[in-house]
Order: sequence, then C-alpha cells, then structure tokens
Amino acid sequence: MNTIAIQAKMINSRGDLIWALTAGVLCLVGLIGLGNYLIQGHDAYNVYRQVPWGILISTYVFFAVCCTGLCLVSALGHVFGVEAFARVGKRAIAMAIIALVSGFVVIGLEIGQPLRLVYNLLSPNLTAPIWWMGTLYGIYLAVLLTEFTLMIRGQHRYVGYASLAGFIGGVAANSNLGSVFGFLDARVWWHGPFLPVSIIITAAISGCAILILLFAHRYAREKMPADIRQAITISAKIFALLLGVLIFFQFWMVMTAIYGQVPGKRDAMMILLKGPLALSYWGFEIILGMLLPFALLLLSRGKSLGLAVVAAVSTLIGLFFMRYNTVVAGQLVPMRAEVDAVGPDGLLSYSPSLTEIAIVIGGFGLCLALYFAANRYFNLDEQGH
Amino acid sequence: MSEPRTKRWVMVVDPRKCIDCKACDVACKRENKIDAKGRRETYRNWITSKGVEGVYPNLKQRFEPSQCQHCDNPPCVKVCPTSASYQTPEGLVMIDYKRCIVCASCILACPYDARYKSSQTKVIDKCTFCIHRIAEGKLPACVDTCPTKVRVFGDLNDPNSEVSRLLARHHYYVLKPEAGTKPSLFYLS
Repeated sequence: MNTIAIQAKMINSRGDLIWALTAGVLCLVGLIGLGNYLIQGHDAYNVYRQVPWGILISTYVFFAVCCTGLCLVSALGHVFGVEAFARVGKRAIAMAIIALVSGFVVIGLEIGQPLRLVYNLLSPNLTAPIWWMGTLYGIYLAVLLTEFTLMIRGQHRYVGYASLAGFIGGVAANSNLGSVFGFLDARVWWHGPFLPVSIIITAAISGCAILILLFAHRYAREKMPADIRQAITISAKIFALLLGVLIFFQFWMVMTAIYGQVPGKRDAMMILLKGPLALSYWGFEIILGMLLPFALLLLSRGKSLGLAVVAAVSTLIGLFFMRYNTVVAGQLVPMRAEVDAVGPDGLLSYSPSLTEIAIVIGGFGLCLALYFAANRYFNLDEQGH
Repeated sequence: MSEPRTKRWVMVVDPRKCIDCKACDVACKRENKIDAKGRRETYRNWITSKGVEGVYPNLKQRFEPSQCQHCDNPPCVKVCPTSASYQTPEGLVMIDYKRCIVCASCILACPYDARYKSSQTKVIDKCTFCIHRIAEGKLPACVDTCPTKVRVFGDLNDPNSEVSRLLARHHYYVLKPEAGTKPSLFYLS
C-alpha cells in the first residue's frame, strides 16, 4: 500500500515537473518577446495604421471569454443549484481569475500607454464601450477574487451571493467586450448585435471545455468522484448543445453576409471563406472549433471522458482562431481604396510578428504557471456543502 | 441647453483644382514638426487619385485631397475611454495626448482612416486644422501653402465668410455621408 502511494506521489511529482517545465519554457519565450517589445516598442509588432489590432487583442479576447465561461459554468452550482456542480466551483473560479490575469497581461502589452489607464477613472467617457468593458472586467476580477477567498475560507453562506455577482458581472463584462466591436459603425463586419450576443455562447462553450480539461487533469491518476463525473458529463452535454447553437449562429452569420452586397461586410466574409484567412477559418475555426468536437460529443453522448477531452482541446484551439479571425478580418477591408498597404487583391494584410507570437505564448505560459501554483498552494478540491 | 457655437470651422475643398503636388502634406509635416522617419503610414493629410475621367482625347485626371473631417458627430470621440479625444466649442476634434492610452479604438472607429499611432509622440495623432495657427488668426498650413488654392478655410457660422459663400453658390458633397458623421470638409462638385 505504502509503495503504491509513494509511486503515485512520484508520478504526480514527475507530472508536476513536466507541467512546471512546460510553463517555464513558455514563460521564457514570453519574456523574450517582452524584452524585444521593451526595446523596440510597438515597432516590434506587425500592426500598423490600417490594421491597429492584431493577435494580442484577439488573445486577450480569448482569455477574457474563457474567464467568463468558467464563471458561468461554476454558477450552475452556486447560483442555479445544480448539485453536481457544487464541487467544481473553486477550481473553475481559480482558473477564471488566472485566465483574466493572463488576458490583462497580454492586453497590457498591446495598449501603448497602460499607465495612463488612470484616466479611465479621472476622465471617464461613458459612451465608450472600451471604458465599460475595462471597468466591468476590473470590477469582475475583484468579485472573482472575493468569491475565491470566500470559497477558500469555507464561508459557503456568502459564496452564493458572490457567485451571483460573478455571474451577472461576467455576462455584463463579456457582452460589453462584444460591444467594443459591435459598436464600431465604421467596421460593418463587426457592427451590430451579433458579437455582443454570440460572445456569451462562445464563453459558455469555452467554460465547459476548460472545466472538462481541468478535472480530466486533476483525476488523471485517480478515480474521479461520482458527483464530479456527473458534473463533467453534464458539462459535455451542455458543451455539445451550445456547439450546435454556435454552428446555427455561424451559418446565419455567413448567409446574411454573403447574401447581400453590403460593402465591407461581404468582403470581410469572403476573406474568411476563400481569402487569406480561409485556412484559419475552415481548418481551425469551423472544423477544429465546431464540427469535430460536435461530432465527437454526439458520438459519445458526452459520456466518454477521453472524447470529451479531445473535443475540449479541439474547441479551444478553434476558439482561439475564431477570435483571431474575427479581429483580423474586420480590418483587412481598407477604409479607403488608395492606401500604400493595400495589395493587388484590394485588401490589407496582417500576420503577427515573432514578438507578438512570443507574447501570446508567454500569456499561455503564465496561465499554466499560475494554475500550477494555485493547484499547489490552494486546496482547489471543494468539499460538498 | 448647450450654447450655440459662435464659430464653426470648416474647410471647402475644390478637388478639380488639385494637381497632386503634395505641398499640403509637406507643409503639414513641417508646421507640425512631424518626423515620419521614413514611415509611409505617418501623415495627417493625403491625396487620393480618383483615376482618369473622360474619353480620349478629352481626358482629365482628378485628385481628392483629404484629412481628418473634424466631424460634427465624431465616432472617434464617442469610443475614446479616457476622453482623450474631444470636441472644442468651435467643432474641432482634438486629442489630449497625455490622456491617450493608445487603445487604437478611435483609429478603428474613424471611417476616413484619419488617425494613426505616432512613433514620435507614442500616442494617436491626426490633423488639428492647425489649431495653434487659427488662434493666431492664421490659416492652416495646408490651406496657406496650396499653390492652386484647392482648400478654403473659414467659419461656416459667418454668412459672409468665403466658405459660406462658396457653399451657397456651388453644389457640394461630403465623404461617406452614410456614416452619419457630419464632416466639416465639403467638396465642391
């Protein structure tokens, strides 16, 4: 018995070492990117006058949406009383905080003058969606930290209230993040209610996917308790259902964009369908992000943990590319025709620089490192209450 | 109720007179001490070729000078989270550089591609209608320098100003009227 326990501990330690090393390498790559950014400033990025938002913005959106998604899934237990989810909340909220912090770090390196964010308080502009998004996510982070603290201290009486505040804050912050794009009249590809609405669906999808991964990793070497297994199965089913909704949304988004001849809108859609972002759209966003995981989850009816894990990884990769595609495609149609940067196809172009890619990798490294640390220093296994 | 504006600064552009000499661009850079450092994306004003019109041998080429439109309903001001972008009482759209966080939201909100990140000031930059010259009773540098007098600058609230008289006498258009921005640049047609 003792030998088995020692072996299990050794395996866990080796597993921990691999995670720590991976996180360390990714963080190191990020630090190299950061170093280059500090030396060269924004010149180290491939964004320019006509395409000022690049992969760092889309990565921030990815992290922020993941954060909200985890909070939404966690709220199933503490807000909506789904018993099976009562024990997954703490780990989910810890990861939500980590995802948001990682997102803030990435966007902090995109914003040219982050220290001047103090003017968000000193001279706020209430008509600016970025003001609402930034402020709501700031408050949201505070709510999540409070909720996590209450969970750690075992003050379950108050966790429900904090979780409700987190749920409302998450939905508000997330849809406001969608409005940062949706309110830009000049960018017809983004403009409209689609992004503020659909971003909630994708948040819940990413929340389900990450929850499955977190618990598959947690119980990789031991038997998963029945209630957690049930929570994961329910998550996989919600995950499949929401993927179906997302595919439905996506179909009508494509149809409405290509049916008409609205200047800018159809062009942006064609960039994704058969233009420079076609591989990223079809290969990653549609096949990896939606169709493959949807098929896997339907095939297993959400009951196979292995297939759910593959579906979750596949979807998260797809969602990462979905953010990239949304951000970039919205800018590649030029605002005026005669711009130096326009290519022979009449479109602008963008591909991330090595520095931008390094910072993105660093963001994921930070996320992994913080989760590794949280897993080590906090008891993320919530006891039933 | 807000006070009625005493002045509304506008620019009337006669694109038929433009010869694409780009003196406006050079004057702007010199006046505003803009060092482009070889970057082709650093400019506050520009000239667009509208292509060749007519049938041979009666051909003509038309150019369309442009810049920040100092919109009466500026989308860039609406989206700025820190109120760094603002409108003066005379309708000029300005940037308080010290408040700009360079989120670039204003660049994307502008339907005219008028804004850019300045590598000199490390914040967002654009045309100011040479507000410092207006304060001294002078014309904006691009207006002053234009050899063919493409641009006319003045107060639209003054019925006797040259801009008011030009707009009363000629047909004109604005760029992207569908954007609802109410630009302060009027093009004679």
